[in-house]
Amino acid sequence: MDHFPLNWGRPRNDAVDSYSTYPITQRPNHAPKDAFSAGIQHTQQPIVTGTSVLAIKFKDGIMMAADNLASYGSLARFRDIQRLHAVGEHTVLGAGGDMSDFQYIQSILDELMIDEFAAGDGHALGPAEVHNYLSELMYARRSKMNPLWNAMLVGGFKDGQRFLAYVDMLGTTYSASTLATGYGAHIAQPLLRRAVEGREDTLDEEEARKIIEQSMKVLFYRDARSLDKYQIATITAAGVHISDSLQIETSWSFAEGLRGYGAQTQ
Amino acid sequence: MQHAFAPSASHPQPQQRQFNPYSENGGTILAIAGANFSVIAGDTRQSEGYSIQTRYAPKVFRLTDKAVLATNGFAADGNMFVKKVRQRLEWYRHAHAKDMSLRAIARLIQTMLYARRFFPYYVYNILGGIEEDGSGAVYSFDPVGSYEREACRAAGAAQSLVQPFLDNQIYFKNQTPAPGTSHPAHLPLNHVLSLVIDSFTSATERHIEVGDGLEMYVVLAKGTPLQGLDAIQGITEMTATDDGERMFIIRRNLKRD
Amino acid sequence: MTSIGTGYDLSASTYSPDGRIFQVEYANKAVENSGTAIGLKVKDGVVLAVEKLVHSKLLVPGANRRIQTVDRHIGLATAGLPADGRTVASRARDEAANFRDVYRSPPTLKTVADRLGHFVQMYTLYSSVRPFGISTILGAVDKDGPALYVIEPSGVFFGYHGAAVGKGRQLAKTELEKLKLSELTAREAVIEAARIIYLVHEDAKEKEFELEMSWIGPETNNQHVAVPQDLFNEAEAKAREALVSGLE
Repeated sequence: MDHFPLNWGRPRNDAVDSYSTYPITQRPNHAPKDAFSAGIQHTQQPIVTGTSVLAIKFKDGIMMAADNLASYGSLARFRDIQRLHAVGEHTVLGAGGDMSDFQYIQSILDELMIDEFAAGDGHALGPAEVHNYLSELMYARRSKMNPLWNAMLVGGFKDGQRFLAYVDMLGTTYSASTLATGYGAHIAQPLLRRAVEGREDTLDEEEARKIIEQSMKVLFYRDARSLDKYQIATITAAGVHISDSLQIETSWSFAEGLRGYGAQTQ
Repeated sequence: MQHAFAPSASHPQPQQRQFNPYSENGGTILAIAGANFSVIAGDTRQSEGYSIQTRYAPKVFRLTDKAVLATNGFAADGNMFVKKVRQRLEWYRHAHAKDMSLRAIARLIQTMLYARRFFPYYVYNILGGIEEDGSGAVYSFDPVGSYEREACRAAGAAQSLVQPFLDNQIYFKNQTPAPGTSHPAHLPLNHVLSLVIDSFTSATERHIEVGDGLEMYVVLAKGTPLQGLDAIQGITEMTATDDGERMFIIRRNLKRD
Repeated sequence: MTSIGTGYDLSASTYSPDGRIFQVEYANKAVENSGTAIGLKVKDGVVLAVEKLVHSKLLVPGANRRIQTVDRHIGLATAGLPADGRTVASRARDEAANFRDVYRSPPTLKTVADRLGHFVQMYTLYSSVRPFGISTILGAVDKDGPALYVIEPSGVFFGYHGAAVGKGRQLAKTELEKLKLSELTAREAVIEAARIIYLVHEDAKEKEFELEMSWIGPETNNQHVAVPQDLFNEAEAKAREALVSGLE
């Protein structure tokens, strides 16, 4: 008999013991197993992946975008995946990389926000806190050689302050007025910088949207792992808004004149 | 003859791709000790490969009023390391009601780095500041904690460009003094500052990973005159205690290409 | 107390010859000594209210809360030993989080009450522990609508339309029975809850008290939050009014 009630106090694990069939004195042991002897497998490569995330600062806050595709290698596997996730009232998280890892991160953050809500102390976590939490999480996991395979942007607006920062699977962090992950860092980032740098405090929401739309279009033309269906998140003093899925209007008629595209006669 | 264990096309070896927990984020840092001051500087560009991640990511950090730490290498490790050093310095303050001395911080850093000898912080550290005897000091470290006190040190992407320049200008290597004169043991502050600025503008010209912005911390020993520091445009004082040492930061733009 | 001196009341793991567990009954006494807590399940939501007896003027207002949040949509009020209330609330949060972890959806109140009932019951089985000296009112708006449960020190739990535990429970229950709970809105229920707490408070016998109220309903986006200050003030003013006019 275990006479320490606190040892009984572990929540039941429904995955293992859904009907509470174990007597409390011989509960199954859920303690972490020794990583060496148990031969635990760690993520060595991403499986189902999302591509770029873009974000910029504008006059009233942050605008972020990501498409709705989750790829399985070169297969466009899931075409209705949300890669923008609201964290509380002031923050949006956008992710590329492994989508199962991202969804796991979402559940961690959701639990964190519920804990904060239950504390009922009048404080709310803002984007800076969420970003720092994530960077510690990502760095801790990479240090265990068991990374969460993602590159993420955290955007937010709280107490009159804009916030925009990056964090990835290595725990690397940085902040700038325009950010892009993955392929977008190579293709969209230069466009974003030219459009935004020095104009962060004058761009209005409509202009910001134009810039984002244009960059998403260029990415769809150039990135073979992208989709013409995407969402835009805006975070301002009014809170978080994530749009319904939007369609990129494209024209491919120019390609008819290209060798290697479509039916070739010679 | 082909080696017996060499993989061949018909019998491919099982491939092991290992997750690489490190990256390299460019940039350069530099510190020079004077007789009663110390200058610690770094550029603010953070990059990975050919991409600039951000034009402003500080890698020089105020630890106390008399100690400044510059980190260079893998930025995530650098930031985490600085966070842990600061935490230890705070605990020291709680325990002893004073700031840790510079040489003690240097030894602490060596201990913390060596503790991770077999999974190192991939970071080159340079610690600058004022010793208890009032002299300017620079300590430089390798990633696993080997360290020494020096008069000047450059580290990072453009170390190979900057260090020879400093050897020549600070240690007067390959210079012979005019007959009847000798090289000075220490240079004055304004001279050191212009050497630092020249080092970074030159490194920016020749190294793609250096540029965007320059942050120079100046630490003055107790009772040291300002030597024209107050006349420098864009200088900000960061002194937090009344121990006597004073700390300033000077920011400059570097080319962004 | 017929149990005293018999030796059958020394341990929660000992029955008396007539099949009672005295330690559990003593735990109920601890609840009966506490300030009243009530819960109202109404048309579109749930209201919790507590008569928090303030044993010292030196206490900071709002200290030692007896209404706590379990999940976004679940709240809990306790009557009895305040420290036991915090233990049970902490466990409730763990269970709710565990449910979300496994099923990726918010738990129904019934599930949480079921698991908490198990937890409380365990402390009635062993000689090495004492049963919880609290009754817990759980309130929520879940996928099935408003819900209200009470867990007793024995671990038994029932669903209610209106619930009252603690010192003034008898009078409070009578008052609750007079209400048409299923026709009230959460906003109206807040006014009634404040009135009942003020009514059952025994001014002559008791020390000062602080009213504590939370609600869950359409106006809170079905989240469990404290009643906003303006509504709280209105309810408290009306409760005082009702008290005065009731005396005449």
